[in-house]
Amino acid sequence: MKTTRIALILAALAILAAVPWFGSDVLVQFGINALLIAVLAQGWNIIGGYAGYASFGNSVFYGLGSYGVAIAMVQWQLPFGVGLMFGVALAAVFAVLLGVPVLRLRGHYFAIATLALAQVMTAIVSNVKLAGQNIGLVLPPLNNDPLFYELSLGLLVLATLTIYWLTRSRFGFGLIAIRENEEGAAVMGVNTTLYKTLAFALSGIFSALAGGIHAYWVTFIDPESAFDIGLNIKMIIMAVFGGPGTVLGPVVGALSLSAVSEFLSSEITSLAGLFFGAVVVAAVVLMPRGLADMLRRFRSMGWRYFAENIRSHRL
Amino acid sequence: MTAILEVSHVTRRFEGLVAVDDVSFALQRGEILGVIGPNGAGKTTLISLISGTLAPSSGDILFEGRSLLPLPVYRRARLGIGRTFQIMRPFPGLSVLDNVAVGALFGRGGGQAQLAKARELARVQLDFVGLGKNVDQRADELGGPGRKRLELAKALATQPKVLLCDEVMAGLNLVEIEEVIEVIRKVRNEGISVLVIEHVIKAIRSLSDRLLVLNHGVKIAEGDPGSVLSSQAVIEAYLGKRRA
Repeated sequence: MKTTRIALILAALAILAAVPWFGSDVLVQFGINALLIAVLAQGWNIIGGYAGYASFGNSVFYGLGSYGVAIAMVQWQLPFGVGLMFGVALAAVFAVLLGVPVLRLRGHYFAIATLALAQVMTAIVSNVKLAGQNIGLVLPPLNNDPLFYELSLGLLVLATLTIYWLTRSRFGFGLIAIRENEEGAAVMGVNTTLYKTLAFALSGIFSALAGGIHAYWVTFIDPESAFDIGLNIKMIIMAVFGGPGTVLGPVVGALSLSAVSEFLSSEITSLAGLFFGAVVVAAVVLMPRGLADMLRRFRSMGWRYFAENIRSHRL
Repeated sequence: MTAILEVSHVTRRFEGLVAVDDVSFALQRGEILGVIGPNGAGKTTLISLISGTLAPSSGDILFEGRSLLPLPVYRRARLGIGRTFQIMRPFPGLSVLDNVAVGALFGRGGGQAQLAKARELARVQLDFVGLGKNVDQRADELGGPGRKRLELAKALATQPKVLLCDEVMAGLNLVEIEEVIEVIRKVRNEGISVLVIEHVIKAIRSLSDRLLVLNHGVKIAEGDPGSVLSSQAVIEAYLGKRRA
């Protein structure tokens, strides 16, 4: 059972890695976008899925990662790798500085507070000369989609391995305990403030890396696109649809939803805008614990699974 | 006997209400101290003040001679203060085993870093409280009595020196109460000092070495169970004054 599972995952990974050799340019470009958003969903999974803090601030980390790369490459003529590290450092500092006060809030209040962060960052960055103000920055182009594709895939693997480590480490158990019952976790000796801040930072680091790769790939960023709150909503939908707090759920959610969304926007344009809204409603009402939980329990419960979820909302 | 925990002149106010009013007492090493009192007497507040989920308005709490007040909740747990909650706080999405393993992973001295070892310790604690057969269940699948035991196992897995039990017998039937009493006696025999808050007077009378009675946040009696329960002040607190 376990070995077949690992074999399947490795096979899927090998096929994904080979896409640039057999796929069209369009497929590779779609792949880069889908893989990066899967990284974002996986990053959100750490703070939202494991620690239970629904962050709307992860697009800020994404933006900081983008600007880290852009500023380092454009303003300081540094290599891409240094830019990525600069973005990561920005995200980590931001996570600690803002995480400490904001992570004291719980539930909706935390969500609202982080929602405001993205707006604030857009306004701030629009006025920073180093960041090109509201005009943005144009990066030196690198026309090598297969490279960006493999980079994104590598990052997704790294993020997923990190989450796998969470499920069997003291740190991960501490986060789950915080999610399930924060006061109960503290009286058992979990340093909740430290753990939440570390989770926020780790989550932010992956978002920043994704943002950095994306910025170099599209070669242009401005405050509006870098700190796009819509991106944050997308990563949440994907993580929640796939299964928050699971190792592979967010990846499956992100890749499958990206594929459907891409198909709709090219085939039935008028319906594409509705798609994510419909997914949210369906996911929340029918399978609030995500695809992973549904696949696990549908086998034993059948259609009763959905009925039970609807009932538990007391609609 | 020496005191492991000293509560001295502790007061806690909630906007106008004094939940705990200048209460002082000591928990001796290896003793079972029962705290009783009518509803709203301040019993749970007292436990929260010791475990750190609430801060006292004034007074001091010493653990092994050292003030606990500057320490956050998790640091107190790492020193060896374990507590259960009256309103149980299991981690519902985790298995019973992993609920308890969290205690072993953290807990006194920082806990056990290895998950496999923590689970082993958790298994021992679950056997100890009589939940050995339920290890693989999800915590939210347990019934009320099971959850009470789970609360105990979680607190014990942190390897406490002092165990604070908040109404672990409430809602249990007589047989179950007897079993929990047995568990708490075994806990004491392992050298852990226990403070038990209880509503069920009969149960606590046979269990406690000493009793402390709170009423409206004030300590009205302290001493051996027999004489405390027959004292006039305690009878009045529970039953009201006899009208002449």
